[in-house]
Amino acid sequence: MGGSTSSIMIWGYTAKHGLKILFLGILCAVSVYVFVFLIGKGLYVPAVMPLIGSGLISYIFLSEKRYPIRWLIPGLLFLAVMVVYPIGYTFVSSFTNVGTGHMLSKDQAIDHFLERSYTPDNAVAYNYTAFADTSGDLALILEGADQMILYVDGRATDIARSDPRLVDEDSDGTPDRFGNYSRLTIPETVQRLSVIEDYRIQYKDTIIGLESLTKFRTRSSQYSYDPDSETMTDLRTGMVYTAWEGIFTAPDGEEIYPGYKVGVGPRNFVKLLTNPQISGPFAKVFLWTFIYATLTVLLNFALGLFTAILLNDPFLRFRTVYRVLAVVPYALPAFITILVWRGMLNVHFGVINDIFLALFGSGARIPWLQNAMWAKISVLLVNLWLGYPYMMLISLGALQSIPGSLYEAARVDGATWWQRFWTITLPLLLMPLAPLLIGAFAFNFNNFTLIYLLTEGGPAIAGASTPAGATDILISYTYNLAFAGERGNQLGLAAAVSVLIFLIVATISAVNFRMTGTLEELSKNV
Amino acid sequence: MLTGLFFVANASEPGKLLIWADDTRAPIMLNVAKQFMQVYGVEVEVQEIESGETRGQLATAGPAGEGPDILIGAHDWLGELILNGLIEPIVLEPATIAEFNPVAIDAFKWGNLLYGVPYATENVALIRNTDLVPEVPATFEELLTVAKGLTDLEAGEYGFLIQQPDPYHTFALYTAGGGYVFGKDADGVLSPCDIGLDNAGSIAGAVILDQMVKDGIEIAGAGYGEVTGAFNAGSLGMMIGGPWTLSDIKANSINYAVSAIPTIDGNAPGVFVGVQGFMISSFSENKVLANLFIKDFLISTDVMLGLYIEGDRPPAYLPALAFLGGNADIQGFAAAAATAVPMPKIAEMASVWDAWIGALELIVNQEQDPATAMQEAADEIRALLGCE
Repeated sequence: MGGSTSSIMIWGYTAKHGLKILFLGILCAVSVYVFVFLIGKGLYVPAVMPLIGSGLISYIFLSEKRYPIRWLIPGLLFLAVMVVYPIGYTFVSSFTNVGTGHMLSKDQAIDHFLERSYTPDNAVAYNYTAFADTSGDLALILEGADQMILYVDGRATDIARSDPRLVDEDSDGTPDRFGNYSRLTIPETVQRLSVIEDYRIQYKDTIIGLESLTKFRTRSSQYSYDPDSETMTDLRTGMVYTAWEGIFTAPDGEEIYPGYKVGVGPRNFVKLLTNPQISGPFAKVFLWTFIYATLTVLLNFALGLFTAILLNDPFLRFRTVYRVLAVVPYALPAFITILVWRGMLNVHFGVINDIFLALFGSGARIPWLQNAMWAKISVLLVNLWLGYPYMMLISLGALQSIPGSLYEAARVDGATWWQRFWTITLPLLLMPLAPLLIGAFAFNFNNFTLIYLLTEGGPAIAGASTPAGATDILISYTYNLAFAGERGNQLGLAAAVSVLIFLIVATISAVNFRMTGTLEELSKNV
Repeated sequence: MLTGLFFVANASEPGKLLIWADDTRAPIMLNVAKQFMQVYGVEVEVQEIESGETRGQLATAGPAGEGPDILIGAHDWLGELILNGLIEPIVLEPATIAEFNPVAIDAFKWGNLLYGVPYATENVALIRNTDLVPEVPATFEELLTVAKGLTDLEAGEYGFLIQQPDPYHTFALYTAGGGYVFGKDADGVLSPCDIGLDNAGSIAGAVILDQMVKDGIEIAGAGYGEVTGAFNAGSLGMMIGGPWTLSDIKANSINYAVSAIPTIDGNAPGVFVGVQGFMISSFSENKVLANLFIKDFLISTDVMLGLYIEGDRPPAYLPALAFLGGNADIQGFAAAAATAVPMPKIAEMASVWDAWIGALELIVNQEQDPATAMQEAADEIRALLGCE
């Protein structure tokens, strides 16, 4: 069809069409390549996604009726890949046992056992020589203590040293050619090593495998697997291990690892709600997360609005300078500033306590990060410093949009500054800002960076006997659960907590939309 | 789509080796890679990956066929990596094994199989500023007296600090009296339900720490950065630290000496010993080649010395260690390691840290008495591991 770039119509197609089809062709070709590549790795769900994506894009771009959607489709596809897919994946994971000891798929775990081999007592070691013919096919000559084996085309046969096909041109004792195969040098052999490594040479009733660069050796498989009964048998001991909840288990309870991922139904959620080790702190952590996120939004908004009103005063000199300075905390990367704050709040080495000591004497050493109450205050203060510039910026913008005539009218009516603030400024500000405030709430609800870098969830609580600290919020607590409990990673359980957090945040968002709708109704009546 | 394409270039593929090493080891690996290329014509790619992220990345990249052939890591990862089926046993000739520090070889053994080739051991020791503390204190009690004399908190001068809240650096305090993390069963295998953090020895150690805080020697808020910072500024007499602290100490021209931690109440304290080594991924497509690279190229005095120079950690390879024989730092760390305990490598160790850190935090913050804090931590760990 029209790959032409000329501006002349060819068979009814213009150059623009040609480019479009070329682009779509490349897109489809790439997605087919990725599909084949991912299928080869056994990743079926991710493999289908680019196909669906490119198919959808092609349909929309080629169909005149779907014209408007073409501007939305890139965003929608990215939404699917970056938001919907991870949420779905987390949701699915929350119903599995994925975690330390259960990281592989069942097939991978079975392969792992089937690859285990050991050297039997009567093992024979073979030196070997590799040959290749002009088309690159390999032949191997294995030399044991008292036999020579030829391995070619997947079959092993005895071969005599005097065989006429073996030619030793330089008479060094090693044949240089075998029929039309010629010997490989060591670097050439090394190049083919990963192929040779996979050979399992069946010779009489033994299996011979590559052991090192220069040697083959008799090997015996350690396990055999029976797919019908789902049992793994250790051929050396005769012990039979049955697949049971993601692990091969012997009748006496002995487990062999690795285990594999398997669905466990709602067990993670049940554990979350019934295990006192987890559910005990869950309620407390949930409460603090709520208090922390609410207070953060209120404090940050209050300070942000206050500075915005100050900086909005047309009679203030150097307004721009102050505005720039006030934005600094927002402009610096939080990763760095939080760590700086952590250093400044250090009880013995921090500059803040140094100042307090200089001002108020030696009794004024405040345990900023050591005491539960002070640590909570520290979290709120640092977050205030980090967050108020954002609130100031959005308030500044919103303040400009309030018509000055309203204030004039209020002044004429004799309203005080307070009255004007409460009855004009705040209601008119909240209308556009409410969604942003709720967004800030949702953001701080999951503000892992702040908690993890500033307090790591600490300090520990005396007598708590659980892994949650005084400033842990749900997301940092989830992190602890996921990476620091039992045998390390309890990803399934952590996914279950994530699903709960998602539901909470989704509820907040739903409320957000409803409130926004309500406020719009309100604004129409103003 | 893009990530799929990106990873094609960074996966274990036949006929090419991929090594994961952190930024200090990567240049040395690259050097060896060039030699390997010259001899065998096989390309070796070295990918920089932060040490702390290696395990997590391997767990996702390995099974997806995107992991390395060879990785560098610590022996206490073994439990987790083996449970996850991510690493492969390595067979060394007895003669080669004899060339290594036996402690290091043991550390990389799981059952009777070897899962890594060690290159360095690391443990903490007493590091002192020889201008402030010219003589090694003979006992821990004497050490505390010296420390008390040097400490002036208002002036920012400190006698002896152990970074807090940190189980690893405070471990010596518990072991002197018989404290331990996991006990051993009759076969010498660590048993996850025998937790010794609340036995008499561990509590005695926690009491010492508590007393150090009450005496104004140890202070809250003294993390790694604060302790090493004070030492490098010359305002700290003694600290417990590892080989990784030395390069900054040297850079700041502080006169220092490394020695064993003095006896506590007449008993020699044990520190944790960690071993760094090379491991082979189960998902490698080139296991024989990876073995060849490790055995014929990495096990050499030159490479092992190169790794020593980058990290100051004493080599586990005895010919390299012998080459450095007269080095006072290495002797100091070796003296501290004489009674060392290998860092437990069972995956259950992951449950220990948080509870233990919490207990130390409560003691150092003077929020709870040391016996109760240790008891509650041990109970918390037992509950986490389902041991009651």
